[in-house]
Amino acid sequence: MESLTILDNMNVLLCSINTLKRLYDISAVEVGQHFYWQIGGFLVHAQVLITSWVVIAILLVSAILVIRNLQTIPTFGQNLFEYVLEFIRDVSKTQIGEEYGPWVPFIGTLFLFIFVSNWSGALLPWKIIQLPHGELAAPTNDINTTVALALLTSVAYFYAGLSKKGLAYFSKYIQPTPILLPINILEDFTKPLSLSFRLFGNILADELVVVVLVSLVPLVVPIPVMFLGLFTSGIQALIFATLAAAYIGESIEGHH
Amino acid sequence: MANMIMASSRTLIRASTVSPPPPPSQKLPILNHITLPRLQLPLLNNLSLQIPIPHPNQTLKSLSVLAATSLALAPPSLAVEIEKAALFDFNLTLPIIMVEFLLLMVALDKVYFSPLGKFMDERDAAIREKLSSVKDTSSEVKQLEEQAVAVMKAARAEISAALNQMKKETQAEVEEKIAEGRKKVEAELQEALASLEKQKEETIKSLDSQITALSQEIVKKVLPTV
Repeated sequence: MESLTILDNMNVLLCSINTLKRLYDISAVEVGQHFYWQIGGFLVHAQVLITSWVVIAILLVSAILVIRNLQTIPTFGQNLFEYVLEFIRDVSKTQIGEEYGPWVPFIGTLFLFIFVSNWSGALLPWKIIQLPHGELAAPTNDINTTVALALLTSVAYFYAGLSKKGLAYFSKYIQPTPILLPINILEDFTKPLSLSFRLFGNILADELVVVVLVSLVPLVVPIPVMFLGLFTSGIQALIFATLAAAYIGESIEGHH
Repeated sequence: MANMIMASSRTLIRASTVSPPPPPSQKLPILNHITLPRLQLPLLNNLSLQIPIPHPNQTLKSLSVLAATSLALAPPSLAVEIEKAALFDFNLTLPIIMVEFLLLMVALDKVYFSPLGKFMDERDAAIREKLSSVKDTSSEVKQLEEQAVAVMKAARAEISAALNQMKKETQAEVEEKIAEGRKKVEAELQEALASLEKQKEETIKSLDSQITALSQEIVKKVLPTV
């Protein structure tokens, strides 16, 4: 008798859990689920590679189409690309100084890649392509991408400093006083760390917020958050590029 | 975490579906759960025997005990059924993205930054040159104007000098002619005067004779008797 009542209660529990499970399957949020490929003995996140190829294709194809015949009085597309190039040159010049010329491709590619990645993740209908596991989204929502870009920036500012000053570059660690040596060394680790996590956190969090909102209220409510996401992701691209240029400029600059 | 909860509920469901009599299900890869109800039910029976009155609290308690033990026994199965959420999953993707980025940088430089940058710089230089050249030609124009004015002045001076000279020459000629004319006129005048004088003398002479004649007649008339 006691066991019967217990079994009845368990049955009730079963039914409610089943319905909950069904609801959960409809509104599933996949976080950190990756589509794995195997290259050699290593795994890669295929969804990141695929979306990064799409971003690269967008950048190169649009550039080639516009830069084919340049005219003194620019067309709309040429004007847009000229504006972007002037903007990038301005950022580089402000941060790096007079020797900004060789660094424009690096800063420009950084800015364009991150900007187009973020906006493609927000604007393109990736859900149309179903992956066996995981889903397509902005390539910058993966820690690998952002850490890769941050490490490249580190390498870039080291290279800038060393190629300009030689081994005298390392004297910057004991300036202005040798007491700050540990802090200066720590800076070399925190710079790429903060760069990568700032971008990663922003993009992933925005994606999560939008997905959760859409799963709760699919109609009108997510739209302001989507616009906020577009705005902040654009700002993040600018911030990444500006900081990279600032670090390079800091390494190149002469004596205070 | 949601996955874990759902996993535990899934195992709970499976555990409860194999409640008495439990057939050894070949679908389930985990064997320890099949024995779970057998373990649990005698426990519950013991519990129910000890407490005669079935409280709703007691049922809830037993259920929670069931859930807790199933959760405790669940973790080994979770690894098999649910994939761990991997946010900080570093793998070969990182260097691949690095290489892709560097290739993109080179390609974009060749296709976009260098050609467009060069074109923009050339256009700027051409415009600046045109602007500066326009400023230079304006000074050139001023120079030319001054030259023109000087030339005009010189021309005018020449003209006036030539004019003056012409004037002088013609004036000399004119004076000559006037002098000639005057001489002629004077000569004629002299002639005329001379002729007049002659005529006058002749008339005076003739008059003289007439006067004498007249005077004799007058005398005759006045003195008829003489």
